[in-house]
Amino acid sequence: MSLNKNYLAAFFFLSTYFFGAAQERSVQRPVKMDTLKEVVVTATRTLRQLSSLPLPVTLISKQQLRRTGVTRLDQILNEQTGIVITPDVTIGGGEGVQIQGIASDYVLVLIDGVPVVGRSSGNLDLSRFAIGNIKQVEVVKGPSSSLFGSEALGGVINIITEKPSSEKITGQVSHRSASFNNQNTNLNLGQGKGKLGYSFFADRLSTDGYDLALDQTGQTINPFFNYTFNGRLFFDASDKWNFFASGRYFFQEFDVTPSTSEETDANLQFRIDHNPSKKTNFQYEFYYTNYTTNEQSVDPIDNELLIENDFDQQLFRPEIRFNYSFLPNSILTAGSGYNFESLDRSLFAERVTFESQYLFAQYDFKPFEKLNIIAGARFDNHSEYSSQLSPKISARYQLSTNFAIKGSVGSGFKAPDFRQLYLDFTNAAGGGYTVFGREVEAAGIQRLQNNGEIATLQVEPSALGESLDAESSVGYNFGFTYKRGKIASEINFFRNDFKNLIDTRILAAKTNGQNVFGYINRESVFTQGIETDLQYRLFENLNLSAGYQLLYAYDKRRRDDIDNGEVFGRDPETLETIRLEQSDYFGLENRSRHTINFKIFYEIPEWAANANLRIVYRSRFGLTDRNGNGLLDELDDSFVNGYALVNLSFGKTFYKHYRFQMGANNLLDFKGNNPLAARDSEVLINPGIQLFARLNFQF
Amino acid sequence: MKTTFKLFSLLFVLCAFIACSDDDDGDSITEFTVTAVSPESGTIGTEITITGTNFPTDISLINLTIGGTPATISSLSSSQIVTTVPVGASSGDVSISTSDFTQTAPTSFTVLENLELGTIENIFAPQTGGQGQGEIGGEFTKFSFDTGAVTQSDTDWDIAFRGTTIAVNGGSVTGTNDEPERNGNAGAAIVNGIFDEVTTANGLTFSQDANGAFAIPTGSDNGWYNYNFMTNVVSPIPGIVLVFRTRTGKYAKIEVLSYYENAPSNPDGFVDAPRYYTFNYVYNPNEGGTSLSN
Repeated sequence: MSLNKNYLAAFFFLSTYFFGAAQERSVQRPVKMDTLKEVVVTATRTLRQLSSLPLPVTLISKQQLRRTGVTRLDQILNEQTGIVITPDVTIGGGEGVQIQGIASDYVLVLIDGVPVVGRSSGNLDLSRFAIGNIKQVEVVKGPSSSLFGSEALGGVINIITEKPSSEKITGQVSHRSASFNNQNTNLNLGQGKGKLGYSFFADRLSTDGYDLALDQTGQTINPFFNYTFNGRLFFDASDKWNFFASGRYFFQEFDVTPSTSEETDANLQFRIDHNPSKKTNFQYEFYYTNYTTNEQSVDPIDNELLIENDFDQQLFRPEIRFNYSFLPNSILTAGSGYNFESLDRSLFAERVTFESQYLFAQYDFKPFEKLNIIAGARFDNHSEYSSQLSPKISARYQLSTNFAIKGSVGSGFKAPDFRQLYLDFTNAAGGGYTVFGREVEAAGIQRLQNNGEIATLQVEPSALGESLDAESSVGYNFGFTYKRGKIASEINFFRNDFKNLIDTRILAAKTNGQNVFGYINRESVFTQGIETDLQYRLFENLNLSAGYQLLYAYDKRRRDDIDNGEVFGRDPETLETIRLEQSDYFGLENRSRHTINFKIFYEIPEWAANANLRIVYRSRFGLTDRNGNGLLDELDDSFVNGYALVNLSFGKTFYKHYRFQMGANNLLDFKGNNPLAARDSEVLINPGIQLFARLNFQF
Repeated sequence: MKTTFKLFSLLFVLCAFIACSDDDDGDSITEFTVTAVSPESGTIGTEITITGTNFPTDISLINLTIGGTPATISSLSSSQIVTTVPVGASSGDVSISTSDFTQTAPTSFTVLENLELGTIENIFAPQTGGQGQGEIGGEFTKFSFDTGAVTQSDTDWDIAFRGTTIAVNGGSVTGTNDEPERNGNAGAAIVNGIFDEVTTANGLTFSQDANGAFAIPTGSDNGWYNYNFMTNVVSPIPGIVLVFRTRTGKYAKIEVLSYYENAPSNPDGFVDAPRYYTFNYVYNPNEGGTSLSN
């Protein structure tokens, strides 16, 4: 009971600074104590009880983060149903998150509600985020552009940091050592005294990296170190005015001597909460972020600079939000903001800037006791592409005490990114092909023509430079939840229809035999499937959970082509062309049809210890087309067989303040085989077992 | 006088009898006609049907030749003879004769040469430069369909290879380094489909090399191949059939099977030697023949 009180206190505390109006509402609602702690903000931008939401939301609690002993965001996400961390490209590429089969490019990542920038070819590296000071991670599946705008197609991941709640200085220091000389130290401290609160977090990670291609020179993951610092201030001036400021800085450097590879990510957030009345809440938020990379590829023999790839992206965003509570159970949310974005990149002719303005509104209400409806829309006006209206409606109906139905339809979009608009890049080392962003392609082609580098133009000159549309999707989710006693279960059917996906096209053939590429809105894909979760409390201290996702993800145009008999493959024996059938089409790359997770968490209070076992399985998936027909089919020798990763962790608390933890990730030492490895050489999928030990001192 | 009359009468009757009996055992003697031969051209072994009237129905009495070469009759009726083009036949008249008559079909028959088909392996098509190594250059490797082999001739070639580039002996030079002079009337058409399903060159539009552009467009996904930068592999696009008009106006089709030496089924872009063409081809050596399938 005292535990719940603490949670209640923490919740209350958090609410007052974060969403004053929502807090009132939540208190008004009679909520069971044991579910009260499970509140999320990402789904509605107001505090909502997880179990009452009409949307598919995954909540990863601090407790789960702590018990599993993981230190980075990507590791914990991979253990959640319907979320897969998968190689972005094939060999040597980064890893990206996939939600409902939707790639990382279309997943928005937030820290305390504000977006993180800095994507490499569309992919955001989630291992950048240390989770030592995180209260919880919220993942809303399906499109949420009605609240968050661009990029929120596949889902939104929101990292919620913790607010200090103790009058005394509290905190922790911990060190974790793991395989590959992975050393992670962090310090987290904070204090909330009277009206003032502060917290500070520092994290250092270094590792020797690892190698998946043992017989090739160089390492897959080079040795690196990184630092994360996060300082936050809270000032609750009065019942009506609260202030919050946060600064975060991340620095990472790879040891690739004599080359250079550095990355920084800085975020500054300032927010004022104003509650003119019990029912009304205003939030004024200013956010600035700056992501940079500094990469120089230097020839190790003659020290010649091969490639310089610098990246400097900035976003400044003021936003105002407003909440108004209608009694008893309705809340109106509205907001407006302005994005100033700029990017300076070596591969661009000059620094480019975007401006966009947006408005959103949402009404969350209960027409009658058992029915909750949330309806909202957002309008984004952008300087570089056509404006977007993103509506969404969701509803939940409580059929009985234990059983509820929920469904939602929403739209998402992703603005063409800087690369797709402004890239001006000729790869001299890679054969001399050229890529132009849409906004610079007309001028670029003209330039090449003047230089006599264009052999034939493949598109109408008048079509060059027509503006790109945003990529967009409509997502449908429909599911049931059932909770009774020791059992909690959920099943969700999803379908996401994407259109206007931006693809590359050939603009012209060059006289050197290479192509000039541009970008075009072309592809339509869909992902659909079922995700289901089952939790069962076997004993007081033993929790079992299992999750499964069934996924189908295809390019619609490709399926039509197959129906028209226009897709061919090659017989592996004769090499002759054969016509492919629908059953030969495997679907989109990097998608597993089946993903399964199974977890056991066991608490032993008399020993102050806990143990857990987590198993994550993904079925066979393909990496790339190899036979030149532009789709992944059964004849492509690029499939990775299904595999399971088994993670194990034990923890025990000593002398009240010390906690020791040890375990293994990938306990079965799975390594796998990358089918794209050169003949007679081996490239692994996974570096194998990773042991770890961690000591934590709490004060 | 009476006796003379009687003798004459007897002679007449006799003659008439003889004439009649001659008529009677002379089915073969009746004059027959030949009205048509179908088809009017075909390769050796092609079944042809000859129609007419009053054909003798005894195979042994008929002597059938095509261009002077005796042909075997496989079935016979008074209005139709079925035969096949015999080995060794050359174009010419279709002639049917009996001991008494010889008739020639109103149209002559053209014996076509068989389509030539096969697999050409490992045509090496080296190039210098490219892929960041400076300007592309090097001699093209030339190929002639009528010999079915690589040729050094500056004139008797139909298509030529250098790296991923395929030139045709028709049109004009494109402007690239070291390319051969175009002195024929070759052209190329790209057809989507399965090799066997491309049965004719009829109705296709043939492009020729021109200043700045090859008839078969260069570059990944433009012409016959695509390049996967991740695996560093050049793959012939499945379902692409290249149909050529040769320098002399005959037709051929090819399907490139592999760009790597010895045509491995899963080429390794970092191990296998590239620029080795292996392709299936069908060549119609007949003047004006557009058929690309038997």
